[in-house]
Amino acid sequence: MNKKKLVSLFLAAVMVCAMASCGSGGTETTAAETTAAETEAATEAGSGAETEAPETTGGEAAGEAFTPKVGVFYYSFADAFISSVRAELDAALTEAGIEYQNYDGNSSQATQNESITTALSSGTNLLLVNLVDTASVDAATTIIEQAEAAGAKVIFFNRAVEGDDQEGQVLNAYETVAFVGTDAPEAGHLQGQMIGEYLTENFDTVDLNGDGKISYAMFMGQVGNVEAIYRTQYSVEDAVTVLAEAGHGTADDPALVYFNPDNTDKYQADQQGNWSAQAAMEYMQTNLSQYSEANGNMIELIICNNDNMAEGAIQALQNAGYNNGEGTTTIPVFGVDATESAKGLIAAGSMTGTVEQSATGMADALLGMVQNVAAGETMDAAVEAVVGTNAELYSVSEAVANKLYVAYSAYTGE
Amino acid sequence: MKNPVTSIKETSARYKTLDAQDKKRFWVDGILNNAIYIILVIFLIYTYTKNPLIVSPSAIVNLLTLVAANLPMALGIGGCIVLTGTDLSAGRIVGLTAGLSAALLQGASAANKYFENLGEPGIGMVLLVLLLVLVIGGLVGMVNGFFVARFQLHPFIVTLATQMIVYGACLIFYNSNGNNGQPISGLSQAFRNFVTGSILPKFGGLAIPNYVLYAIVVFIIMWFVWNKTTFGKNMFAVGSNPEAANVSGVNVFFTTMMVHTLAGVTYGYTGLIESARIASNVANTGTNYESDAIAACVIGGVSFVGGTGTVGGVLLGVVLLRIIYVCLQFLSVDQNLQYVIKGAIILLACSIDMRKYLTRK
Repeated sequence: MNKKKLVSLFLAAVMVCAMASCGSGGTETTAAETTAAETEAATEAGSGAETEAPETTGGEAAGEAFTPKVGVFYYSFADAFISSVRAELDAALTEAGIEYQNYDGNSSQATQNESITTALSSGTNLLLVNLVDTASVDAATTIIEQAEAAGAKVIFFNRAVEGDDQEGQVLNAYETVAFVGTDAPEAGHLQGQMIGEYLTENFDTVDLNGDGKISYAMFMGQVGNVEAIYRTQYSVEDAVTVLAEAGHGTADDPALVYFNPDNTDKYQADQQGNWSAQAAMEYMQTNLSQYSEANGNMIELIICNNDNMAEGAIQALQNAGYNNGEGTTTIPVFGVDATESAKGLIAAGSMTGTVEQSATGMADALLGMVQNVAAGETMDAAVEAVVGTNAELYSVSEAVANKLYVAYSAYTGE
Repeated sequence: MKNPVTSIKETSARYKTLDAQDKKRFWVDGILNNAIYIILVIFLIYTYTKNPLIVSPSAIVNLLTLVAANLPMALGIGGCIVLTGTDLSAGRIVGLTAGLSAALLQGASAANKYFENLGEPGIGMVLLVLLLVLVIGGLVGMVNGFFVARFQLHPFIVTLATQMIVYGACLIFYNSNGNNGQPISGLSQAFRNFVTGSILPKFGGLAIPNYVLYAIVVFIIMWFVWNKTTFGKNMFAVGSNPEAANVSGVNVFFTTMMVHTLAGVTYGYTGLIESARIASNVANTGTNYESDAIAACVIGGVSFVGGTGTVGGVLLGVVLLRIIYVCLQFLSVDQNLQYVIKGAIILLACSIDMRKYLTRK
């Protein structure tokens, strides 16, 4: 009996404390709001839009300023790039004194939707959503409508909410949403450009069997993921175009051919959809057991959807005596993400290039959006204000005014 | 073991006494009971006709290394299945121990060092870390075993829970020390030599990595444990009927706990090996490894009904899954169809397994 009472007393105390801390969090936030401009200067790169007095140029949609209670919904805590964004954003939001809570979608849209419902019911009024199902208009719409019903605003980030052919379908339809991320095909285009240029310069070195064709292997992160699809497609297409311009092959008879003519997919994908090094490593090791210099059909180039897979492929190459630095043949390997370890491999000469996405840039843009929106700006105006802080890194989509792009850049260690 | 020649003679003598109907049943049963082997051979022959390279030395070494990577975990999980259980936490334990091994055994010049104060580790440090991950894996396994044995909870639930706990720990680990979820790589040479270096004689001019040797050692140890120790006999007794085992004086609590602990040790070992084999470790490393391991056990005849299974069967299951993987690559089968084929084979194997059990009843 006594025990039970004690327990309930304890629980009640915990609840009271929790409420109190929520309340104090709120007041803290308002205090921080006013000093936002100061803390802003402290956050690096001078990004994230100063909280000027809200100009109501946005028209009638510009609302009142409010105290943001932010919920950040990541698609997966396990993703390397997303983890970097999370670390940066946590630091930025804490420094700006904004109350926030992180949620892990654990790669499941259902899980993410449930956390969103829960967060909305607990009074979250600004959602930062890293959608699990990329380019799923339905998934995005469901979230927006839930948020609207609860009077909350939504800023999607990182993973696309609509495919290229559906541009504006979601973002133009609602006023309380925005998107901060990358132009999904851009990573593929940059990767292709980089590969094309590298091959043009080093064609004869890379062409090990001297047949005038570069045979490449492609490792795809996840079947059915738009970014994976774009990267798989454009990295090759663009490289072929660059090579054709330089006089190697033509668009119809490309100088870049998939190493295995029987494989009509022209890629090998991680069957678990984890973009994992393990999948790339095992595929590459199996490929190397039948494709070798001795057989005259060695794989001469490796393209990966992300750096983790690139590292796996490099591990298989290294076990077979390639890519061990000076004195060994180096098969060029390209990835995307520019993780720290990939940069290390590039510096050591085991990897050739990657595409960098700025986690800091992403976090700063998100913070800027949060602050502007909380100050009562419309989404369009907030996007414009953030772009104004760093025109080199940020841009607005041509078709959709509430879509902010953070630029990718090629990284070859130079 | 019976002399195979006499056993064939006995079988043929018995076969002659059968009538026509029984003779037919003899063949049908024979084919069904050995369906796995038959599928394996058909698969290999078919692949060979399409791509003769499947029997080249490099393809064989490749298959060996792939089998060696999966075998220890399958042997560990096999014990849990013998107890009518399962283990869902295996993959996450691999993830955690792989991350720990990598972080502790990075080279002095690694790009993003997790423990900045650590110097270049030597072979002594590698062995020390091996011991550490074996203990960590064993401890998680022991927790699994404790809850299963003490509270009579189904291992599915217990390991589902520990899976989440371990994954959480793994995420915390990857996001601590300024790592921000970045992959941990840049492993030291001593570590890589220990795992992927080669002290075995070359096969067809190709080096066989050390972890193949280790897998053989693990296999022999597990064979010994399952077949030659009291603990092994107790495991099968508890698996087929815990009450009967208890009545006959078997310590069911201790046996259950030790089976899970032993399984945990194999995951810890797998973590260390995977860490160097893949050389790039993220929080997702090891995800779903248990699904392949469980499938391999069931294909190899370790029944979910409990109390049956052999170490050799588990090996066969792992080999079959890996041969499917390699053949599908050599045949350049469409990615989507690969799922279908793999699923169909697992389903077929499980059905055959259950059929044996049903007829026995």
